[in-house]
Amino acid sequence: MPFVIYFYVADYITCNCKLLAIAMTAMDVDTGALQRKQSLYQSMDEIFEIQKEMYKGQQYSQIYYIRLHLIRTLIHSLLPNWKPHLPVCTVLGLEEGKECIIVGTLYKHMKLKPTILSEYSKERSATPLVSPDNFVHPDDTLVLEDESGRVNLKGNVLSPSVYVTGNVVALHGKETDAGDFFVDDVLEAGLPPQLDLPNKSGEDKYVVLVSGLNVGSSSSNPLQLQLLVDHITGHLGDEKEQQSASKIVQVVVAGNSVKVRHGLLNGQNLASKDQSKLSEPIKELDIFLTQIAAGIPIDIMPGYNDPANFALPQQPLNKCLFPGSSAYNTFRSCTNPHLFDVDNVRFLGTSGQNIDDLEKYSEAKDTLEFMERTLRWRHLAPTAPNTLGCYPFTDRDPFFIESCPHVYFIGNQNKYATRILKGLEGQVVRLISIPRFSETGIAVMVKPSTETRVFVSLPEDKSYFPESIADRRLCFSVYATGAISTERSDDDAGFGYLLIVVMGCDGEGHQIWWWLLKTLAFEEEG
Amino acid sequence: MASSADMKGFYKQKKKYAGISKPSSSKPKSKSKSAASFGSNVAQPPALVVHGSLDLQENHDANEEVLRQFDMNMVYGPCVGMKRIDRWNRASSLGLSPPDDVYRLLTSTASEVCSQSLWDGRV
Repeated sequence: MPFVIYFYVADYITCNCKLLAIAMTAMDVDTGALQRKQSLYQSMDEIFEIQKEMYKGQQYSQIYYIRLHLIRTLIHSLLPNWKPHLPVCTVLGLEEGKECIIVGTLYKHMKLKPTILSEYSKERSATPLVSPDNFVHPDDTLVLEDESGRVNLKGNVLSPSVYVTGNVVALHGKETDAGDFFVDDVLEAGLPPQLDLPNKSGEDKYVVLVSGLNVGSSSSNPLQLQLLVDHITGHLGDEKEQQSASKIVQVVVAGNSVKVRHGLLNGQNLASKDQSKLSEPIKELDIFLTQIAAGIPIDIMPGYNDPANFALPQQPLNKCLFPGSSAYNTFRSCTNPHLFDVDNVRFLGTSGQNIDDLEKYSEAKDTLEFMERTLRWRHLAPTAPNTLGCYPFTDRDPFFIESCPHVYFIGNQNKYATRILKGLEGQVVRLISIPRFSETGIAVMVKPSTETRVFVSLPEDKSYFPESIADRRLCFSVYATGAISTERSDDDAGFGYLLIVVMGCDGEGHQIWWWLLKTLAFEEEG
Repeated sequence: MASSADMKGFYKQKKKYAGISKPSSSKPKSKSKSAASFGSNVAQPPALVVHGSLDLQENHDANEEVLRQFDMNMVYGPCVGMKRIDRWNRASSLGLSPPDDVYRLLTSTASEVCSQSLWDGRV
């Protein structure tokens, strides 16, 4: 019965833990050292980079014009299949009572949307204090705008709670005598064409997607992150576990990797002892990333909390922030949004700002529905630049989705969710909503092949029992994480003790062993 | 926005005209009223102009007119904040076939046309 205990030494700057080595008692692990699978990686982030851009005083009207032109050209090509008998006209060319199709950008007039001008209005407006979560109101109205003019939209077909400012759609209807446009039907751009998936080569390869590490925040548990790193690098588990870890070919960290304490960022000069607190989360993150980068390609995307620029597309995090990991050529700092190919399977994802903004200004059942809508509108962030910060491009709109991804992921969400979306032309997209790792302990492993499947690794919830036999191996991770978070005792002088659980399994993988490895001394954060 | 080299020109403080011209002789108020109604040299005092000149007919030749029509054409998008040649290139890459004579005017070194759009420095 193979039984192994693994050892490693970890040096956390904040925690000061040192796990000591315990003797290896059982079978050697070196029988036929496992090789990690390789994969072909190609990044297509050039469209999101703004190093070559120069601000010449342009306004956001340019990016709206480009968006309208790109999507309108697309919609014009779809119109013959939709309603070929109707004429297409501009907003200014509308005639009363004449049924026609108009194409333009939607603008949603929202009653509760905060405007800077309401501070200066003479009368105290009666709008109640709104929660910052959602500004949708039943009285919101939609307006369609193109180069020639605007027209108010009426009718029940177009629901204002679904659409946001910045969508480009085609509308079938007629002008009423009040001067409004009564909508009978809507046409969106639809899912973009998708490149065919390569034939299943027979090898299972996994891509790990994780987001919301929030290193440095009070909710993040460094041991949880260390377990994830150990699982990915193959230091955890028995041979079967290691074999599944050797199939991981790519790790993507989708935003919000560090969280600096907000109290430090109030604009005042920092005392010298506070200055080190500012850089500690990044140093801690670098240690984790170095361990991963030493063995496996890793992409890191910036998020809302990360030290990168605010406006989308966020530029790659500077390599000098990661002195340890950037020494490896497997470490890649990427833009947000991030578009890349692994073995010719296209991945597209963001750190969540686009969906979070949609959640504020429209309504849907869940995150996956928002994601589906962005694909159907063929635009990653329709609310940019209206309510989402965006660079004022003049020659392109980088958020326009040219080719349908095979895997579409959004980071930093509340819950884990996934679904397959099927398009009209045979497109198949795996939608993944990645929850924040610091809160849920969930990282997602995707198998990019003809049938993308998702495995959940390291969930907090002990009651998670995967049904299929193939997932049984992952039960160990559940118990391991769950155990660590429960046992913790405090002792004198700010020292504490940690129980470490080591997994052991027999050939079947059923038994779980609890071990008190070592009582550790570590300093609580001050 | 105007580059730093242009800031002085942007905010030039010189007055082209001296403002309201006062009557040279200082007469009492009641009399000056009648003086203004007839017989005064200045038929109508010029408008108070602080910034720049009253150029109703500026450097406005036929070439500039063609370029202004190009600026105003909404098919090629908004013109504010972009150089005319950049806007032409963008229109061309989007497949809109902008007129060639505009391109010739903008690229030829012979003609003295403004590279910025008509709203440059005014909006």
